[in-house]
Amino acid sequence: MSAIEFKKLTKSYGKSRGIIDVNFKVEEGDIFGFIGPNGAGKSTAIRTLLGLIHPTSGSATIFGKSCIEHPQVKKDVGYLPSEVFYYDHMRVIDLLNYSASFYKKDCKKRIRELAEIMDLDLKKKIDDLSFGNRKKVGIVQGLLHDPKLIILDEPTSGLDPLMQQKFFELIRDENKKGATIFFSSHILGEVQRMCNRVALIKEGRIIKLEKMSDLRENNYKRIRIETPAAIDRSFFEMPGVSKLELKDHMVNFLFRGDINTVIRKISQTNIANLLIEEPDLEEIFLHYYEKEGETV
Amino acid sequence: MNIFLRELKANRKALIIWSVCMFLLVLSGMSKYTAYSSSGQNNALFNSMPHSLKALLGFGSFDVTTMSGYFAMLFLYIELTVAIHAVLLGAGIVAKEERDKTTEFLIVKPLSRTAVITAKLFAALVEVFVLNIVTLVSSIFMVDAYNKGADISGEIVRFMVSMFIVQLIFLSLGAALAAFIKNPKASGSLSAGVLLASFVVSKITDLTDRLNMLNLLSPFKYFSYKDLVEGGGLSAGIIIPAILLVAVLSALTYFFYRKRDLNV
Repeated sequence: MSAIEFKKLTKSYGKSRGIIDVNFKVEEGDIFGFIGPNGAGKSTAIRTLLGLIHPTSGSATIFGKSCIEHPQVKKDVGYLPSEVFYYDHMRVIDLLNYSASFYKKDCKKRIRELAEIMDLDLKKKIDDLSFGNRKKVGIVQGLLHDPKLIILDEPTSGLDPLMQQKFFELIRDENKKGATIFFSSHILGEVQRMCNRVALIKEGRIIKLEKMSDLRENNYKRIRIETPAAIDRSFFEMPGVSKLELKDHMVNFLFRGDINTVIRKISQTNIANLLIEEPDLEEIFLHYYEKEGETV
Repeated sequence: MNIFLRELKANRKALIIWSVCMFLLVLSGMSKYTAYSSSGQNNALFNSMPHSLKALLGFGSFDVTTMSGYFAMLFLYIELTVAIHAVLLGAGIVAKEERDKTTEFLIVKPLSRTAVITAKLFAALVEVFVLNIVTLVSSIFMVDAYNKGADISGEIVRFMVSMFIVQLIFLSLGAALAAFIKNPKASGSLSAGVLLASFVVSKITDLTDRLNMLNLLSPFKYFSYKDLVEGGGLSAGIIIPAILLVAVLSALTYFFYRKRDLNV
């Protein structure tokens, strides 16, 4: 059974676009990235999944069940919203105990452990906390009941790099213990570091669904060449080359296709230095976006 | 149970303030009784007033020189006050999670929306009941302190029973409106607007007998306080439809809340 399944999910808000025909699965034990720019529909998809809003058509299920019809399925779900708001006039520990009271298990020990890892002062009033510290409360609150599915909506905003590091370690540990992670972000680096599989969403539609490794290895190479003398742009204009940039004696492009053809091409000229590397996700992603843009 | 306790705790301070205010309202209201009752001249003065003026002042059909008539006049203001409390409470308790952006926290917990509303409505019911009892006890004590004639405690109890039902109507009305309208911040003002409209309707129908059908729109006129003052009991023919109205409004609250797209 899949941990999460979106089946032809569409949600429209009156005239404005929500999400359209979203179709994909997240298998148990996976770390799944859900990437797209702000406003692409990531949060809409997650909120439909959690039963905060109703689908216009299609369905979104957790462990095969809809959250609206089977609210009990939510006992295995931990959720960290993108913006964390809590009841005012409560201390951190009161809020966490209130949260724990909804689950039929003793979470006291886990609360202490998590608070220690995240370096969170349980005695403070929530009103007095900074944005980053509220986010920490959100993290502890989302994990305190040892959920089997952890849904994170833009989890790292507001956390300093050191805390992000700790947070990712924590999430990896949860994954090793068997939890499925569903992770939405517009920061590609963090998805790249964490996820096995990704779905790319743009303007409400899923445009790509791939294994992280496939996405990166999809024959794309970032090639940088330094030449002793200036070289004509047309020399590198060949099938498979994109984003060609020439600056002083530097040539920079993305290549997709048979690597031998580009190596032969390079060997026809005199070069000072050559660097062939994996493109980062951001580049591939932008590339997808541009391609989409051309077809529209 | 945890939501129920959380709501009671969150509203504790507000309930204490409302209770103190109700006590002060009864206290200040009753302290003016001597001015109304002190001499027979007042009776003549009131009798010379046109009916419409008396109706606007709230004693079109009561003899305010007697304790029970005076209390009936004061009661209209008491009832208006607790109705405002009830309608704001009903709207607030449903809308607050969205208004304070805590929906995401609550709705991802393993419980249904029905369970959320049930806990909240019960908490509101308890608060409305507490305010009613505070008003009842204050009224009995203050009336006793000023009353020189016959004891009217039984009448006060009947007044408060009718008031409790009116409170329930406004509570469930506020809740249903908050569950229905999209903007959680507007629910309080809209509910208060509906309440004031129904109060105005009750004043208009005081002025003339020809518009009595309009009384259906005003829970303030469901019970005949004239009958209560004259020693009559509460009529089951009114209580039962009024309770049914509360049931329908509560059912609508569940219905709308379940279908709702929650704002975050």
